[in-house]
Amino acid sequence: MNRRPPCAANASPLLEGRGIGKSFGGLAALAGVDVAVYPGDVVGLIGPNGSGKTTLFNCLTRLDGLDAGRIHFKGVDITDHQPFQVARMGMSRTFQNIRVYRKLTVIENMLLSRQWRGARWPGLLRPSRPEVTERADDLLEFVTLVEQRVDLAGSLSWGQQRLLEIGMALMSDPDLILLDEATSGVNPLLVDAIRDRIMTLNTTHGKTIVLIEHNIELVADLCSRVVVLDHGEKLADGEVGAVLDDPAVSEAYFGRRGLNG
Amino acid sequence: MLEIAQRQPIRWLRRSGLLVLLVVLALLPLLAARGDGDGMVNNSTLFSLTQMLMLVTLASNWNFVSGLTGYIDFGHVAFFGLGAYATGILMSKAGWPFLPTLAVGALSAGAAAVLIGRATMHLKGPYFSIAMLGTFAALREIARVARPLTGGGPGLTLPPYLNRPLFYYLALGQAVLVVALYRWVRRTEFGLMMLGIREDEPGAEMRGVNTIFVKTSAFGLAALSSGIVGGMWAYQNTFIDPDIVFLDSRTIDMAIASVLGGLGTIIGPVIGAGLLYWLRDVVWASFLQWHLIVQGLLLIGIMLVLPNGIIGLLGDRSGLDPRRIWARRRKR
Ligand SMILES: Nc1ncnc2c1ncn2[C@@H]1O[C@H](COP(=O)(O)OP(=O)(O)OP(=O)(O)O)[C@@H](O)[C@H]1O
Ligand SMILES: [Mg+2]
Repeated sequence: MNRRPPCAANASPLLEGRGIGKSFGGLAALAGVDVAVYPGDVVGLIGPNGSGKTTLFNCLTRLDGLDAGRIHFKGVDITDHQPFQVARMGMSRTFQNIRVYRKLTVIENMLLSRQWRGARWPGLLRPSRPEVTERADDLLEFVTLVEQRVDLAGSLSWGQQRLLEIGMALMSDPDLILLDEATSGVNPLLVDAIRDRIMTLNTTHGKTIVLIEHNIELVADLCSRVVVLDHGEKLADGEVGAVLDDPAVSEAYFGRRGLNG
Repeated sequence: MLEIAQRQPIRWLRRSGLLVLLVVLALLPLLAARGDGDGMVNNSTLFSLTQMLMLVTLASNWNFVSGLTGYIDFGHVAFFGLGAYATGILMSKAGWPFLPTLAVGALSAGAAAVLIGRATMHLKGPYFSIAMLGTFAALREIARVARPLTGGGPGLTLPPYLNRPLFYYLALGQAVLVVALYRWVRRTEFGLMMLGIREDEPGAEMRGVNTIFVKTSAFGLAALSSGIVGGMWAYQNTFIDPDIVFLDSRTIDMAIASVLGGLGTIIGPVIGAGLLYWLRDVVWASFLQWHLIVQGLLLIGIMLVLPNGIIGLLGDRSGLDPRRIWARRRKR
């Protein structure tokens, strides 16, 4: 695989979370997790069901409030930011249980996800500018949804909706993209398309990507680094081969069964 | 392409139909003036048309917030009331002329909505609706208690001015302006953001939309317009008190008109308000004692048959079909 080499450890992280804690009632979904993502990385975030992966994304994008810890993005402390401010700084994401605007058209979904930084009243009181529409059309081509341009997003297949979400996440030209199970429930042909797109984004467009993924083959293929969560704690964090061979990881992930059956 | 070509005559028909309707509406008072009160169009028809036009505006305002952003406001008449009281107090106590009081009413209603919206628009679904119901009831009680200013329960009498055509033209002008404004806003990025909030608010927020700003601005704009209606209504009624101004059924009328015509469309509330008025006249004339029950049953029946309102029946979203708005493809 022609993957980018992982960044030197002494570069400063694009995104850094320290001691992130989040509980729901008595349940500690995250118990003091440290993560760092360096520019140019493709990081896989894995772990068994309910281990806190999605919750970590929700904390990083500031959708969920933290109980403990601080988060820095591009060197700025974003712990007390609103989600829209974080998005405008260049972090975008997709969702495990797809969040497209179902009753709006595909193109409207795209236009609505543009980079809103600097867009102010009364400048908003005009239709989308041509350059925004053009970017949306280019990205629809990238995610192979040109034909569906004026279909309602809710009428797309599950896999197409995943692709649309990726397109929407790219509209704002983000520096960091968080993908939450971008291939789950998607037919194998589209999985390949999504894998290709993720690869291109990193190698050609230099995007930094974190992906939650249950498909270990895909993680091994795409990622330079892997972080493993288990019961809200970080179990392992390191180079992809080393982490996947770690017996503690396969035990947490697959019970007694090893990674290779 | 063929499909668009076929739609051309429909659009032309709709446009010319609208034009004819506007011309007829604009000329009606002249007929009334010549009819000496007992022609087909007399002063009382004009009065009832004025009320209908005010409902068109109010329903459009209500729908702008509740239909486009999805925040169902059960207390919208609060902003109508602020406008009515601004005009009532300033004219009867301070001797102001009418028009400046409209500006004061509009601004206070708009500002109140932005402040109230900041506090209540984090609330989801029914909680927001109930909070607005509470806000409206609280304002009504304040109007009752603040007697030195508002005249309390006995109310305020405004300088009488019985110029029906004037009020008719004011109401018509406002209705046309407001509907045109909302139609335009709906097509802008701001309008798209409002729809995004309705469809998935946290999703919109995480994609960079400043949702609280969009919601409260839309709320403020709608309230501003409702404040103007309130001021006009107060002056043409020449009398206000807390119960006839802060009337809960007025909010319900706005909601019914919107839902009847087509919630979340621009022309829906207009059609709905017209239909509601017509329905009331007919039903009232034929079922004097039972008119509320018959009207209720009819409305339930209509909603069962037409869950998407009259606009849904026409199979088109009043020229607002997003497929058409955004269908212009980039030239290659
Ligand atoms: N909003 C919530 N309210 C209560 N509990 C929650 C909430 N969100 C997550 N949890 C709990 O927190 C824990 C972590 O959930 P999370 O969704 O982050 O897991 P995950 O690693 O993404 O799992 P999966 O692989 O199934 O998506 C789970 O036990 C879950 O039940
Ligand atoms: Mg998850």
